[in-house]
Amino acid sequence: MATTTVFNKTEWDTLHKNGPFPLKQLYITRLEGKANLPSSIARYNDAALEIQRLLKDSKDHNEGFRAYGSRWSMSSIAHQHDRVHQNNLMNLDINIFPENIHPQSLYDASNLYFFECGNTIKEISQKLEEHGKSLKTTGASNGQTIAGCISTGVHGSALGVGAVQDYVVGINLIIGPRPEDNIYLERHSKPALNSAFAQKLNARVIRNDGLFNAALVGLGSFGFIHGILLEAEDLFLLKRYVRKIDKQVALELSKTMDFKNSTFTIPAEVDAQGKPLRPYHYKVFMNPYTNDRDYVVEVMYKKPYQLPYPDPFSTIQKSIYKDLIYLFIKISEKFPASIPWFIKRLETQILPAVNEETIGTLYETFWDAAYQGPAFACSVGIDSRDSEKALEVISKMTKKEGPIPGIFAMRFVKQSDATLAFTKFPITCMLEIDGILWTKSQNLMSLEDYGKRMIEVLQQNNIPFTLHWGKNADWGFLNLVGHMYGDQAKIWKKYRSSLLSEDMVKLFSNDFLDTIGLSDFDAEHSEDMIASMLEG
Amino acid sequence: MAFILKYSLKVALVMLVFFLLVSCYSVRIVSTKGAPMPTEQFDRDDWYRDKMVVEIDTIIKAGITVDDITFRVLKEGCETGKLFSVEYKNTFGGSLLYLVTFGNKRKVKLKYVCMKPEN
Repeated sequence: MATTTVFNKTEWDTLHKNGPFPLKQLYITRLEGKANLPSSIARYNDAALEIQRLLKDSKDHNEGFRAYGSRWSMSSIAHQHDRVHQNNLMNLDINIFPENIHPQSLYDASNLYFFECGNTIKEISQKLEEHGKSLKTTGASNGQTIAGCISTGVHGSALGVGAVQDYVVGINLIIGPRPEDNIYLERHSKPALNSAFAQKLNARVIRNDGLFNAALVGLGSFGFIHGILLEAEDLFLLKRYVRKIDKQVALELSKTMDFKNSTFTIPAEVDAQGKPLRPYHYKVFMNPYTNDRDYVVEVMYKKPYQLPYPDPFSTIQKSIYKDLIYLFIKISEKFPASIPWFIKRLETQILPAVNEETIGTLYETFWDAAYQGPAFACSVGIDSRDSEKALEVISKMTKKEGPIPGIFAMRFVKQSDATLAFTKFPITCMLEIDGILWTKSQNLMSLEDYGKRMIEVLQQNNIPFTLHWGKNADWGFLNLVGHMYGDQAKIWKKYRSSLLSEDMVKLFSNDFLDTIGLSDFDAEHSEDMIASMLEG
Repeated sequence: MAFILKYSLKVALVMLVFFLLVSCYSVRIVSTKGAPMPTEQFDRDDWYRDKMVVEIDTIIKAGITVDDITFRVLKEGCETGKLFSVEYKNTFGGSLLYLVTFGNKRKVKLKYVCMKPEN
């Protein structure tokens, strides 16, 4: 039997120390050993029963329950004040064979892989590599669990791919303690696995596009995500270049994505006519406190996987003394005017080295990001066509009302089908402000105030926007979710209330969901909404 | 005279603290494959914040004829028995101890993280 250890706690915190938050109990489930239960499916099903036992116990005690993976989110989305479940030791993977494929599926069986919730991006990448496969995209690093990634919308800067959730094609949800609460969910328009496979997992099949898209970025509230079926692709290499280019050229590219007609050219990355190729990845770094004529940009081009290639890892990695960073923050709190000077000094540590070139797999390119002290990150999603304007108004506000100890970057992500994906624009520009967590002082505005001002400034300038679910923001801002998603938020709630019973809606909610107004049960839901639309 | 003695002592103390500080450094070797074993603790504020770390801080009585010493990774804190990272810390005190005891006593400060089990 899978076993769960219960830790009585009083506090819980994110990896980057954005809390602490109150907590009663922490649960960690470990799978039955291979020696006792050699079959992966048997161990997976055994773990599902254990999760259902925990859900029943939480329900019986009228306690909330929330799963989390690696605690990488900086918002309180992963927190529940009653019970939290750390699932990163639930890292099984189940092989998919051609006989498991739905008769109407257009997916190639060799690209479909089923992973248990607690597998990290790093673990998945390594397992895929053994099969000559790769994920299509990841975030900027690899420590997040797959369930955490899709629940919060983790993204990279893959212009033509999307975020992590966009290559997920099936989800195994546990929505309560009853046998029928084990559900395998996929799109009816894009079926992947047959019902016989779902039966092996003791799961009831629902094929329904609307429900799938709502549950895909489920904010941890659509039940316990036990397993995920994803579509991988053949292993590839990424050729990475870091360049300093004219600010106007960088911003024009951000706005138009017209690489072909840009003056920014990398000689090795042009087509037969000598026109620049469209990169796989484009990222722009900006120091808001300088008036540099040039910006640092990072571009990557996809290449076929072929050996040999130079090792992309540098042997030595250095980091700054954390005490120095704490000292910098203490000085900044007292004398905010010193922040731009400090950031300028730290630029070489924060930004990638100009003219750096590497080649490696996706796994090697977006490798480990070690903990480097308390951190914050604010991230707004805007239509890439609005990127220059959004950058201008937020930079202006930051300089005028700040400064704050952070640096800006822009990444670009293809539109997602998920109902509450913050990558909702044709190409979403994620404008990020990352830095060191600080405490409000007489002279320095608080992170909460900064988050509020970001929203106000975007609204005042009529720039439609979204916010990254896993990052810092003024989540209590009046009608924030309604403003960002309109009817999509109502649809999301309806699907949630149709799938989950009222007591399970409550159990899978948390303070974050309460704050953004998405936790309540919609009594006007319809069972028809969640009907399976395709057999097989 | 008493003043000079007191002043000299102060200077000596400051120098000792200085040498102790600058003579203390660590180096860590990290695997590029595998994933580190996670922890249920939230209180660390260093590189090991999200990792289950085993720390060894001991003095080994080796004997002056002993050349090398091997530490075996035990099951406690390391169920896979496979290493993800190892950090070795060198201290001024440790080097001094080695010298004055002619290698008989060796201070060992190690931190290691094991691999997360693959299922």
